[in-house]
Amino acid sequence: MKFGKLGLLGIALVIAFACGGTSSSGTTTGSTIVLGAPLGLTGSLSKESALTKEGYDLWLDWITKQGGINVNGVKHPVTIKYYDDTSSANQSAVLMQKLITEDKANFLLGPYGSAATATDAAIAEQNQIPMVEANGAAQSIFNQGYKYTFGVLSPANKYLQGVVDMAATLNPKPTTIAMLSADDNFSLEVAQGVIDYAPTKGLQVVLFKKYKNGATNLTAEVQAAKAVNPDIVLNSGHLAEAIAINKAAKEQKLNAKIFAYSVGPSTPDFINSLAADANFVYDGSQWTPQVKYQPQFFYTVAQYVAAYKQKYPTEGDPDYHVAESTAACLALQRAIENAKSLDPTKVRDALAALDVTTFYGQIKFDSRGINIYKPMVVEQIQNGVHHTVYPASVADAQPMYPTPSWDQR
Amino acid sequence: MTDFVQLVIIGLLAGGIYAVVGVGFGLVWGVLNIVNLAHGALVIVGAYLTWQLFTSFGLDPFLTLPLDAVALFALGYLLQRSLINRIVRAPLLFTFLLTFGVNLIAVNILLLIFKSDFRSVTPSYSGQGMELGSVVIPYVPLASLGVSLLVAAALAFVLNRTRAGLAILAVAADRDAAQLVGIDLRHTYAVTFGLGAACAGVAGGLIAMIQAITPTAGEPYTLQAFVVVILGGLGRVSATVVGGLAFGLIEAFAQSIPGSGSVFANAIAFGLMVLVLVTRPQGLLGRLR
Repeated sequence: MKFGKLGLLGIALVIAFACGGTSSSGTTTGSTIVLGAPLGLTGSLSKESALTKEGYDLWLDWITKQGGINVNGVKHPVTIKYYDDTSSANQSAVLMQKLITEDKANFLLGPYGSAATATDAAIAEQNQIPMVEANGAAQSIFNQGYKYTFGVLSPANKYLQGVVDMAATLNPKPTTIAMLSADDNFSLEVAQGVIDYAPTKGLQVVLFKKYKNGATNLTAEVQAAKAVNPDIVLNSGHLAEAIAINKAAKEQKLNAKIFAYSVGPSTPDFINSLAADANFVYDGSQWTPQVKYQPQFFYTVAQYVAAYKQKYPTEGDPDYHVAESTAACLALQRAIENAKSLDPTKVRDALAALDVTTFYGQIKFDSRGINIYKPMVVEQIQNGVHHTVYPASVADAQPMYPTPSWDQR
Repeated sequence: MTDFVQLVIIGLLAGGIYAVVGVGFGLVWGVLNIVNLAHGALVIVGAYLTWQLFTSFGLDPFLTLPLDAVALFALGYLLQRSLINRIVRAPLLFTFLLTFGVNLIAVNILLLIFKSDFRSVTPSYSGQGMELGSVVIPYVPLASLGVSLLVAAALAFVLNRTRAGLAILAVAADRDAAQLVGIDLRHTYAVTFGLGAACAGVAGGLIAMIQAITPTAGEPYTLQAFVVVILGGLGRVSATVVGGLAFGLIEAFAQSIPGSGSVFANAIAFGLMVLVLVTRPQGLLGRLR
C-alpha cells in the first residue's frame, strides 16, 4: 500500500503530495485540509511517538478512502504534516508554530507526552487554532483556561483509580499501597490521584516515593518499597521505568499481591523485554482491544484491530496509545463536519459541544477540554497476553489474584 | 543495619557498571584529550550486539561479551583512524562537535535498524539471586561487577605490561617525545580509542541484561562516565574503578533518602563532583601531572 509504506518511512512531506495527488472522486473535492503534528520520532519518547503516529496514520488511510472530510457536501482531502521534535517539549512548540505559520496547518494534532502537549497548547492558544490531542493527560495542561486544546483521553488522576477500584473488590482484600512515581507532572498527578482516592476505598498508602523521570536504575526505590511490605506496588512513570521496577522487584524479591504500573505494561515491548516476568502485572489503560463500545461512525473495535494488524502486521494488537491517537483524529473530523466549516473558531466551538461514541468510547469534553466521561479499564498480562480484567462489564478475563511470589513462578 | 548492608550492595553492584563505562571513557580522555560524547552510543552498540546474538542464536549474554569487545575495538579503531585522528590536535570545541556528531549518527543508525522498541536480554537466570539473611544479592549484577573488575584489570595489564600499552602511556606522557622514539602516533591513537570502545562494548553487553535498552539509552552513560572519571581521577584505571563504585554508592544512598530524595540523586552526585574538583582537582585517587 502506497500510504502504508510512506507512513512507515515517516516522510511526511511526501505524504502531503501523495494525498493531494490521489484524492479524486465523483463528488466535489474541496481544498486539502492540512493537519500538523510534531512528534518525537527520535529521542527518548520515540517509541510512544511512533505509536501515536500509527494511530494518526490509520485514520488518515481511512479518511482518504472516504475521499476526505465532508464539509457541507464538499469532500476535503486530508494530509498530516509531521515534524520530529526529538522528544523535546521546547522543540515541539517551535515546530508547532512552524506548522501554523509556514505550513499553514488548518488544525493541530497533539504531540506525545504531557510536557510537549503543555508547551504546544500555549502555541495553539496564541494562534487560536484548535489542537486535539491524545497523549497529554496531565490536568495541569487543562487548568490554564485554554480554549483551543482538547484531550480525548481520561485525565492523569484517573489512570490508576481503576486498579484501586478493582483492588477493593478482591478477596482477600489488599490494604496497603506503596506508591512509586517519576517526578514529571503527569506521573505526579497519577500518583496524587491514588493518594487522594485510595483512602475512600479503604486502602492506605504507606509509602510514597518520587524518583527522577527517566531513571533506569530503581533498585534502591524498590528496596524502600520492600521495607514496608505492601500488598500493592503501584508505579506511576513510563515504559522504561516500569521495566526497571519490575526487574528490580524480581532481583530484590519484592513480593506483593498486585503490581500495577500506569504506563508501560500495555505495550508489546514490556512483554518482549521481560518475557515471563511480565506476567501478573496490571496497568490502567485508556482502551484495550477487548472493550465493547458501540461506535456511531468509523470502525468497530474488531474492525479497528483488524485494520491495524493489516497495516502493521508485525506489531500485534494495537495498544491504547494507538487507539487514543486515532480517536483524536475522529474527534477533530466529527467537529469539522458538525461545524460545516473550516473556520478554526467554529470548529473549536463544535469540539466543545462534541458528544460522540466511537470504538474508543465516549468522546466528550468538560469545560476545561479534557475527556472525563470515558472510564479507564484495567488490564493484566496473563501468560504473555493482555487481558481486560476490570470493570467486569468490559472484561474478558478474571484477575489472576494474588500475584504468586517470585520463588513460586 | 540490613538495610544499610543492602544499600551498600546495591550501590557497589550499580557502581561496577559505572566503572566499566568509565574506564574506556577515561582512557580516551586521558590519552587523546578527547571527551568522547559518542561513548554512550558505543555502549549501546555493544548492548544491541549482545541482544542480537542472544535473540538470534540463543548465545548466553556473558559469552557475547568477548565478541562485543572485539567488534567494538574494530569499530573504535576504524573510527579513530578514519575520522577522529583528523581533529586530535584541534581545539577542544572541535572534538566536542565531532564526537557529538558521531553520537547523533550512531543513534540514528541504531534507530533505523532496531527502531525505538525497548529491548532487554532476559536469560533464564535473570533476576535470580542469593539471600544471605534478609540481604539479597542478585546474580546478574554480581557477575557484572566481576566482569567490570576483570575488564579494568585487563586494561591496566595491557597498559602497563604490553608494548602497545606502554606506547599509549608514552604518547599520553609526551606526544612529541613518543614520536621521536619511533612510536606510530596514528596507530597508537587508534588502538587507544579501540580499547576505550571495547570497554564500552562490554559495558553495553552488561547493560543489556540489567535494563531495557533503546537506541537513545546511552546518553545518560556518557554523562555518568564523565562524573565517574572526575570523581576517581584521570589517568589511572584503578582510580576510575574507585570513582565508579563511589558513584554507585552515592546514587544508592541518595535514592534511599525518604520522600523525594531520589529526585536529587543526580544533583547530589554532581555536587560531590564539584566538591572534588574544588578540593582535590586530581580526583580521589588521581595524581597531579
